[in-house]
Amino acid sequence: MATEPKSPKPATVRNSETLRDALEIETPRMRKAIEATRPETVERWAQEAAEPRQWSWPSERRLIGQRIPRLDGAIKATGEATYSYDINQPRLCYGKILRCSHGRARIVSLNMTAAERAPGVVAVHVLAETGAILRYHGDPIAAVAAETEEQARDARRLIEVEYEVLPHVVTEEDAMLPDAPQVNEDGNIRIGRLRSSGDVQAALEDADVNFEGIFRTQVQTHSSLETHGVVAEWNGDDLTVWASTQGVHAIRQSLSNYFEIPATRVHVVTPVMGGGFGSKLGPGVEDATAAELARSSGRPVKILLERDEEHLDTGNRPSAVARVKAGATQDGTLTAFEATGYGTGGITSGANFPMPYIYSVANSYYQASAIYTDAGNQRAMRAPGHPQGSFITEAVMDELATRLQMDPVEFRQNNLPEDSLWGEQLDLGAAGIGWENWHPPGDPTPGPMKKGLGCAISTWGSGGGRTRASCTIHPDGSVEMNTGTQDIGTGTRTIVAIVTAEILGLEVEDITVNIGNSDYPYSGSSGGSTTIPSVCPAVRVTAGLALEALFEQIAPQLEVAADQLEARVGAIGVVGNPGRSWSWSEACRILGSQPVSVDGQWERGLSSSGVNGAQFAAVTVDTETGVVTVDKVSAFHDCGLVIDELTAESQVNGGIIGGLSYALFEERIMDRPSGRMVNPDFEMYHVAGPSDMPEFDVHMMDVPERGVLGLGEPPTIPTAAAIANAVANAIGVRVHSLPITPEKVLGALHEGPEATLPTTRFDLLDAAIAAAAEGSDDQ
Amino acid sequence: MSETKSGSLDPKSPNTKTQGSVSRRGFLKGLGAGGIGSAIAPAAVLGASTVATAGAVAAPVQGRGEMVGPGRVPVRLQVNGEEVAIDVEPRETLLDVLRQDKDTSGDYVDFTGNKRVCDRASCGACSMLVDGRLTYGCTMLAIEAQGHEVITIEGLGTPDSMNAVQEAFVETDALMCGFCTPGMVVAVTALLEENQDPTRDEIRKSLDGNICRCGTYPRIFEAAEIAAARMRGA
Repeated sequence: MATEPKSPKPATVRNSETLRDALEIETPRMRKAIEATRPETVERWAQEAAEPRQWSWPSERRLIGQRIPRLDGAIKATGEATYSYDINQPRLCYGKILRCSHGRARIVSLNMTAAERAPGVVAVHVLAETGAILRYHGDPIAAVAAETEEQARDARRLIEVEYEVLPHVVTEEDAMLPDAPQVNEDGNIRIGRLRSSGDVQAALEDADVNFEGIFRTQVQTHSSLETHGVVAEWNGDDLTVWASTQGVHAIRQSLSNYFEIPATRVHVVTPVMGGGFGSKLGPGVEDATAAELARSSGRPVKILLERDEEHLDTGNRPSAVARVKAGATQDGTLTAFEATGYGTGGITSGANFPMPYIYSVANSYYQASAIYTDAGNQRAMRAPGHPQGSFITEAVMDELATRLQMDPVEFRQNNLPEDSLWGEQLDLGAAGIGWENWHPPGDPTPGPMKKGLGCAISTWGSGGGRTRASCTIHPDGSVEMNTGTQDIGTGTRTIVAIVTAEILGLEVEDITVNIGNSDYPYSGSSGGSTTIPSVCPAVRVTAGLALEALFEQIAPQLEVAADQLEARVGAIGVVGNPGRSWSWSEACRILGSQPVSVDGQWERGLSSSGVNGAQFAAVTVDTETGVVTVDKVSAFHDCGLVIDELTAESQVNGGIIGGLSYALFEERIMDRPSGRMVNPDFEMYHVAGPSDMPEFDVHMMDVPERGVLGLGEPPTIPTAAAIANAVANAIGVRVHSLPITPEKVLGALHEGPEATLPTTRFDLLDAAIAAAAEGSDDQ
Repeated sequence: MSETKSGSLDPKSPNTKTQGSVSRRGFLKGLGAGGIGSAIAPAAVLGASTVATAGAVAAPVQGRGEMVGPGRVPVRLQVNGEEVAIDVEPRETLLDVLRQDKDTSGDYVDFTGNKRVCDRASCGACSMLVDGRLTYGCTMLAIEAQGHEVITIEGLGTPDSMNAVQEAFVETDALMCGFCTPGMVVAVTALLEENQDPTRDEIRKSLDGNICRCGTYPRIFEAAEIAAARMRGA
């Protein structure tokens, strides 16, 4: 079919500046699109607009939106940054946790005596008593602390555990068998809620084209480079923990509850941390264990997990399996989408994934069930559920477009929620990737190297709240801004400095940013892409209050009304009188001996929610080896008011790389006979490396009127789907499961698409759903 | 690398001198099958991870070879231009000793910049220079490092006086959580010592032993190119 480029825009849109120019023309449409995207959001905005609002973002911005290197860059690049893992307290001891080496077992006996007597041991702590059922490879049993790490490891080996090994299930399909060992008292299948609209059966029958297929995604582990853990130290009744966490306040709360001590006695410190991706939002067994060992030994104790423990017991992205039937009419309308899904989050549920992902369809039917297995439990991972739903839905969209002989971008445009931003983003992405080179599935070019293009879109909530801050302006002119958030590598520390400096007319270096400590005013955990929309408004309000308080204090001496003062660059001036001003330090000196100190909190109107994006991927597939190379990714992400363009772009790069790694490499592999994870390391659990990198073409679609938005999760959502579609476009056969390994590519080429799908058992799920329905009919 | 603080990247630095009370040669003999590959004294009990009870005293081995371990043995290390006197267990890695052991005067050696991430040569977070050669600190025993000049990330610069690579990392935002960064900086520095004008592909290949989870690779490539250009005076 004809492959005219979709976009009227030039393919040379390369950076944000030219993009902004390009968008200038489109701004009215974009604004309309934003307002129409989410009715509930629009309604909320309307309510908010009616409320009296004191604060807004400055209309002329000096620092906000610039490219400002992160403030902790130098200490990180020189190794000076002190992570929890780097804390060397005087008298520090090392804790190690013994974990279950079976898929499922009962503890027949547990003897700590030999471990307790081993050289250097200062404390032991039992986590699972005799008789307890251990539910997965990596389930914690007991811990020891010793003077040195080697002694702690030696002592761990001396813990005597007698197991009764029990039958286990580590795959979804085994768990669904009628006679499967029961992971949960309520059964291994938790049937999900059915959501439907219209008449999907009729729509499938009436459709001009149909597609039926099964898709599967793997379990992915967060694989943070700094493992989970803390250094815990007691000083009398006060507990200090240096924690590798995404939530200093969450850890404080949990330890306060655990030890039944006032929260005021718990101090959680996280100046820097080595990655979390959702796995460090709350407490883990290692936190309280380290604190227990520290309490019984009277020594500070460090537990930073080892690499295998990190894979086994600190969370993962659940798998997703879906059987989809979909139909479309010849005019390019998606008319029917029926899906039944399942996935495993290990011993916990929470394996949901949204379907169909984003696209409008009048007739839909979707039910996803969670399957319990004897494996480490899931935790939120960078946009939970979305990459899974995206991979499956976008594959179906491409398959339908192929059957309609329609350009996949055009087919998507036809089926977007009304007046949404995605239309714009798809146009821009098509221009960015060179969609004019798109061909129908199967690169006709002779030779083994086949090229393909694919695309996908994303949505995410983001949104802010729950943050307080305090600001002090000292008589010497120095400024501190305190808030109990944490910088998990996203640049939060720098963002706080930029916003404060912008409001006070100072430079980022002039601001002392105090974050990463639970003694600072409350802010929530860094998750859900809510940090920036939570922290920035609080900081903006607090800096504004501090400035007002400063004006109140110094106005009498300056013989000017306080409301006639304004902040200029490095100075305080009189409104409307450019000639009258005092340098910042001169003005602050008037404070005498008493600093200005204020508290503030998050307010509506400075942030918003609802983030959309589109990504396009170009790949080359070597049909002789099956190796997929991603050549380029073009990404267009909606991000409201950008505070720091440099760190924002890094977030998008990181999301794309995470998505690429998910698409091609990562997979937790469980051994069915032993119930063990066979690749809890970085050799066989492969994450993307330098040579896997494509060309990056990243664009911030900044719409400052929306206020600040989070960007941590959205850019990782559509990457795998876009890559999978590009691979199918290159070789003309679809790989139905992630990761897209060389083996699967060769299987697709030589044996067809069914060779790319590991075993699924929808028959068992259907039977369970039918049985449950019968049961409920009986009642 | 004119900015290098210690100026100790000189590959010609002495590396054959016997230091401390355990000579490298004697250790190799004593180590036997413990990991170096020579099996002169298979009865030695120095397996890096097989010692069940630390602190035991090993029997002397036959012949001229000098037995060390499994208890602590005194060693002297040359790290970032300083001499570090320290008692180590022979099974301890260079990385662990530099990060978490105490020297003979009871102070932490405290070179915590390089990280332990995989602990088995898969990720490069512990990349150091040993006699100028890029080395994983997690797969070299501390006792093996005697007589060699070790440069960790701390030896390449300080926040107030960064080397060209470090400066470029900060400018281009080639770091996020920062945990892989020390290893990346060392690896790029080592590359630019060897190749002053690397292509993008050479940069990628030279960094394939290093993993970043946040996704800073493209900016690390950029930083390497900027640093290379500056070091060439381009």
